[in-house]
Amino acid sequence: MIVSKLFMLTNNNKLFAAVSLSSTGLILALSASAGYADEHKEMQDLNRLQVHGFLSQGYIKTDKNNVFGHSDGKGSMDFREIGLTASLRPLPKLQFSGQLLSRRAGKGSQSGIHIDFGFLDYNFINTPSSEFGVRLGRTKNPLGFYNDTRDVPFTRPSILLPQSIYFDRTRNLALASDGIQLYGESRADWGNITVQLGAAFPQVNDRDTKASIFRSAPLLGRLESEPSYIGRILYEQPDGRLRLAISGAQVNAGYDRGIDDPLSSGSIKFHPLILSAQYNTEHWSITSEYALRHFRLQNFGNTMPNQNFTGESFYLQGTYRFSPSWEAVIRYDLLFTDRKDRNGKKFAAMTNHQHPAHSRFARDLTVGLRWNITPAIMLSAEYHRVNGTAWLSTLDNPDFTNAEKNWNLFAVQASYRF
Amino acid sequence: MTGIFDYCPRSIFLLTLLVSLLFTGNVLPAGNVIVETVVHPSVNTEHLSKNLLRSIFSMRLRTWRDGLPVRVFVLPDDAPLHSIFAKQKLNVFPYQLRSAWDRLVFSGTGQAPFVVYSEEEMRARIATTPGAIGYLSRTKIDDSVQIVHVDE
Repeated sequence: MIVSKLFMLTNNNKLFAAVSLSSTGLILALSASAGYADEHKEMQDLNRLQVHGFLSQGYIKTDKNNVFGHSDGKGSMDFREIGLTASLRPLPKLQFSGQLLSRRAGKGSQSGIHIDFGFLDYNFINTPSSEFGVRLGRTKNPLGFYNDTRDVPFTRPSILLPQSIYFDRTRNLALASDGIQLYGESRADWGNITVQLGAAFPQVNDRDTKASIFRSAPLLGRLESEPSYIGRILYEQPDGRLRLAISGAQVNAGYDRGIDDPLSSGSIKFHPLILSAQYNTEHWSITSEYALRHFRLQNFGNTMPNQNFTGESFYLQGTYRFSPSWEAVIRYDLLFTDRKDRNGKKFAAMTNHQHPAHSRFARDLTVGLRWNITPAIMLSAEYHRVNGTAWLSTLDNPDFTNAEKNWNLFAVQASYRF
Repeated sequence: MTGIFDYCPRSIFLLTLLVSLLFTGNVLPAGNVIVETVVHPSVNTEHLSKNLLRSIFSMRLRTWRDGLPVRVFVLPDDAPLHSIFAKQKLNVFPYQLRSAWDRLVFSGTGQAPFVVYSEEEMRARIATTPGAIGYLSRTKIDDSVQIVHVDE
């Protein structure tokens, strides 16, 4: 069943990705039928199959505007993440990994089981001082500090990631891609450098991505992903105190126009560049990321003028661990859709005020608290005070012209892992 | 419609109060526990550098020099000995190890260490698993496992 789903999900012109994905899926499906073999020590030592998973349920309440469902008013329970991860290492050099994800988050993510990643990892070199290998299949896009594990509540500093960089509404574009990734690591007394470089097809043809690029216009055609490039260089001190990263991508997509489509077959190019820094002490972690996001949309015909602008994102975040089980987070997060029009006024004028100026920026002050009840169970709560609506989903807020500029969000989430 | 947001400042204050109450008296047991790194006798080494040990416990190194797979055993995140080992032998904090493992596991780029739930289980598993590495308090060490000295 899983295998047939795999074939449905994959595209004909991506045979290469499909083959490696489905072989990984097949192996994982077979492995899963053996039960949670990681409970059986003999099995565990024999082929190093590991199964992990997570489950979360969130509640989001806003006083204006909607996030992840109809959160305005009574609040929304429409935020759920369920994941099952398996990896098999038959040889030290070879690993198959896969994760199935079911995520519900308002209209943008509506359940269904997706292959979050599924790939083969071959480790050519692994010595105390260096490592080099290749991954084939669907891999998570190495962007910033959090993108690779963005749907796993335990790996996030807060319930909602800083939206200026980790947009939830165009998440699929940044999430994972099908292709090849080379990776290498150098380990020395002065630190470790990890490099990941990928050439792959991103995932573009989902509702939320389309809605946020094309706004209200109903689409008759299809968005097709084109070869795209992604990379990250990460430096970590040996004790992990200081972590620095630079990551970037060139995401390419084309529009395949439909019958009687007012749009022409245009192209979309998206170039994010992210600088990341983190400093860790026993009680404190300070994290900051800055991104420039260049977006270009062209040749869509007269109804859709060319667009070419660079957005800017920044956040500064402090995490304080009172004890191993309690931590607090405070963050200021800034987003400008177009850095040359930070207050959105030019854009509002250009659209005859059909789109409000505040739809082009967002400032979000977040405070949150996390309680690790056991290593496997976590309860978190947070409050956001937001000025601007730039990262709101147009699917959850169809009447965008009436979106409110100043709003508040409160969220709680319970998460379990194994 | 204002609802809970009117109460936000008050609830933040109450939560802070609650949290600060919970932490009083939350200290690790006395620091006189001596922790040692131990391996299965098949791991033919008596010394490891601190950096290599960190690579092993952060699950970056997959094999020993002779090609034998490295099998890492740890106690749960909240075990006092785990914290002592992480701080004394690796110079890292348990939360850093946890984030490193989670990044590997949930992006598929690596595997997590094996978790054992007592020092007795740790010793038994290390003694019977070729390529195994873990840690024990000195009083729990016997001839079934081999101590590895960590060079600065």
